[in-house]
Amino acid sequence: MIKVKDVSFSYQAGTEIIKDITLHFDQRSTAIIGQNGAGKTTFVKLLKGLLKPSSGDIIIGDSSVNETTPATLAKQIGLVFQNPNDQIFKRSVLEEVLFGPLNIGQNPELAKENALNALKMVGLENRLEVNPQDLSLSDKKLLCIASIIAMDTNIIILDEPTIAQDHLGKQKIKEIIQSLKEKQKLVMTIIHDMDFVAENFERTIVFQQGKAILDGSTREVFAESDILAAARVEPPSITQLGYWLGYKQVFLTEKELIETIKTDSKIAL
Amino acid sequence: MKALTLYEDRNTFIHHVHPINKLIYIFIIIVVPLILPLFPVLIAGIIMNTVLLLIANVFKKSLPIFGFVLLILLTVLIIQGLFHAENATPLFHLGPLLFYKEGFFYALQITLRVLNIVAAFMILVLTTKPSDLVETLVRKGLSPKIGYVLQSVFQIIPQMLSTMETISDAQRSRGMETEGNLFVRIKAFLPLLGPVVLNSLIQTRERAMALEVRGFSSLRHKTFLNEVKNYRYTTFIQFTLWLVLLAAIIWRVVL
Amino acid sequence: MKKIVVENLKYRYPSTEKLALDDISFTINQGEFIGIIGQNSAGKSTLCQALVGLVPHFYQGAYGGKVIVDGIEVKQSSISELSLKVGIVFQNPFTQVTGSKLTVYEEIAFGLENMGLTRIEMLERIDSVLDLFDITAVKNRNPFDLSGGQMQRMAIASIVAMKPDVIVLDEPTSQLDPQGSEEVFRAIGELSNQGMTVVMVEHKIEKIAEYSDRVLLLHEGKCVDFASPADIFSRDDLHEYGVVAPVYTRVCQALKQKNIDKKTYPATLSEAVEVLRGKIHD
Repeated sequence: MIKVKDVSFSYQAGTEIIKDITLHFDQRSTAIIGQNGAGKTTFVKLLKGLLKPSSGDIIIGDSSVNETTPATLAKQIGLVFQNPNDQIFKRSVLEEVLFGPLNIGQNPELAKENALNALKMVGLENRLEVNPQDLSLSDKKLLCIASIIAMDTNIIILDEPTIAQDHLGKQKIKEIIQSLKEKQKLVMTIIHDMDFVAENFERTIVFQQGKAILDGSTREVFAESDILAAARVEPPSITQLGYWLGYKQVFLTEKELIETIKTDSKIAL
Repeated sequence: MKALTLYEDRNTFIHHVHPINKLIYIFIIIVVPLILPLFPVLIAGIIMNTVLLLIANVFKKSLPIFGFVLLILLTVLIIQGLFHAENATPLFHLGPLLFYKEGFFYALQITLRVLNIVAAFMILVLTTKPSDLVETLVRKGLSPKIGYVLQSVFQIIPQMLSTMETISDAQRSRGMETEGNLFVRIKAFLPLLGPVVLNSLIQTRERAMALEVRGFSSLRHKTFLNEVKNYRYTTFIQFTLWLVLLAAIIWRVVL
Repeated sequence: MKKIVVENLKYRYPSTEKLALDDISFTINQGEFIGIIGQNSAGKSTLCQALVGLVPHFYQGAYGGKVIVDGIEVKQSSISELSLKVGIVFQNPFTQVTGSKLTVYEEIAFGLENMGLTRIEMLERIDSVLDLFDITAVKNRNPFDLSGGQMQRMAIASIVAMKPDVIVLDEPTSQLDPQGSEEVFRAIGELSNQGMTVVMVEHKIEKIAEYSDRVLLLHEGKCVDFASPADIFSRDDLHEYGVVAPVYTRVCQALKQKNIDKKTYPATLSEAVEVLRGKIHD
């Protein structure tokens, strides 16, 4: 769905923030992880056309990012910003969610239908007339997610979706990602929460100093403990527990580990 | 991020002059021509300012600002030269236009005065780090709160602009066209204002709290991380400046 | 030694009806590391602000009960006087940058200048916190040019440099990568070992379990429980408060493997490994 070919980027000559990245994105849900300053956000801005590559090209669907404006790209790719206050500007929850769909040319009825569905997904369907500024930070974030989902793009990128979310909020985001996957959409995220990556994303890409140094299924990636350590990435808690219990395999969910221990029948259960 | 400042970091004699002396210099440049309204005094001021800007190695930097000021003053010169109330003695022709001596010299005087004042301010602004200036004033008794406002405004404004960029990115991401003709740009600009204003209000409140918990309103005697800079010939320069003022007054009284 | 005493604290924000804090009482001893957990809108941030006097001095509203920090009653004191005893780090690092300083070094000095410290003392303290929070490399950068993570470290360093007896941290590591937040937790843990009293709100439950001496569970403005991490996370009604136990606890619960005390489940990686390892491999 996205082809990234030999892309480099720098704000000033000499200091490349993205160094010659080539990646293909298919429908697998994908997490981009790595240390602060590894170039993750810059990379996403390139995909979104908010920045133009210094060299190389990005093809989304069948158009090149170099030749389109972000506004045109908005029909294909949605980005939820990290800070909801940078995004929200309408006076009611419903208007906020309608803004994107109407902008990209959905007819008013379809836009409303999409908006209501998206709000239902995030659990804000009963607060249509509320002023977004009166919502809590975590609800604002969910509202921002809804306002992108309503645009019904094929690709959705979430920038740090779990920041400021409690357990309930995270559960909701988990369900949203699941249902987007079911609709054959490509869900991508930039994220520091490794436990969330392990549970929700099929593919993981590790960035370090502007390069994609690891790319594979999430399980494969978290198996590379040496490379991860060098990139200063900590494996998910459950993976660590499995490791310290002496298992060779990589666990991504509690259930996997519990089942394995149960069958490893030394405990009378 | 670039802070809003014209300061040029050079290592010249002028850069090492105490900020207070530069402030006194501005005062002298404004006051002396008022005491002695003579052309030679204004000319001397122009020469002095030019020399100081050259010594400070910032003359080139100041040119665009002088250019801008001169452009405005040129209109004064034309209007006064043509239409000043006391115009009587013709001075010269410029095409069909007749310039008069009275108005022309009146305008020239204004021009030179303004140029002198602008130049004196340029010497201060181009050769003094804003933080050094404010810190000096706070040490001399300026309220730290006013000092804070003076210092932070140079940084918070560029910061607001960068917030605006992020907000604009967020709206472009949702399909709002921001590239194109003037109309498109204006249409894209207006929706930015709401979040920018709201964001700054929220941020101002949070920042106020953050300052408070770092003892900003504390009644204790404030100290400074930076040592008082080793400024050159401070007493001598100050003495000379006051002497110039005194000389001007005496001249005025005696003549 | 009792460092913080909270007695029947009640608080309601202006123009709201519900109590944000509803009859809370507890004491915290010197040098303790306290984790505060609870779902969003449980009152965690409000409680933090009450400990440093922002409630009620900055926010108005209805206030009842007492908060006493190091013998001083918060309501009778002022924020700037309290700032010498108790520091707070907020969620958003960006709004904690003063904006009046041009380098990270000067930025950290801001609070120290207000305290009236000597230059020598300032230099010593700044160098030490730069090192502790690993931001020496960026000390000459403009504070606004830092990444979110670096800014967050700087915000914490700026408060720690003031050497308060008590430090309150409201989600101080949200922008940090896992390694970065581990380093921050370790540094704060070290300060607590040296006698600083720490109160921290965090959603990173595994870290709270590992570093806290005791955990305070808040729900709808009430203090539900205040006990050791193992006690708190072994409660079987946690989900009712919108909180989930660390993954280590959940695994052990599913396998019904308790700590040696036979009462609680392990809350940390090392406890879980200790309990489980012997039973899996010989």
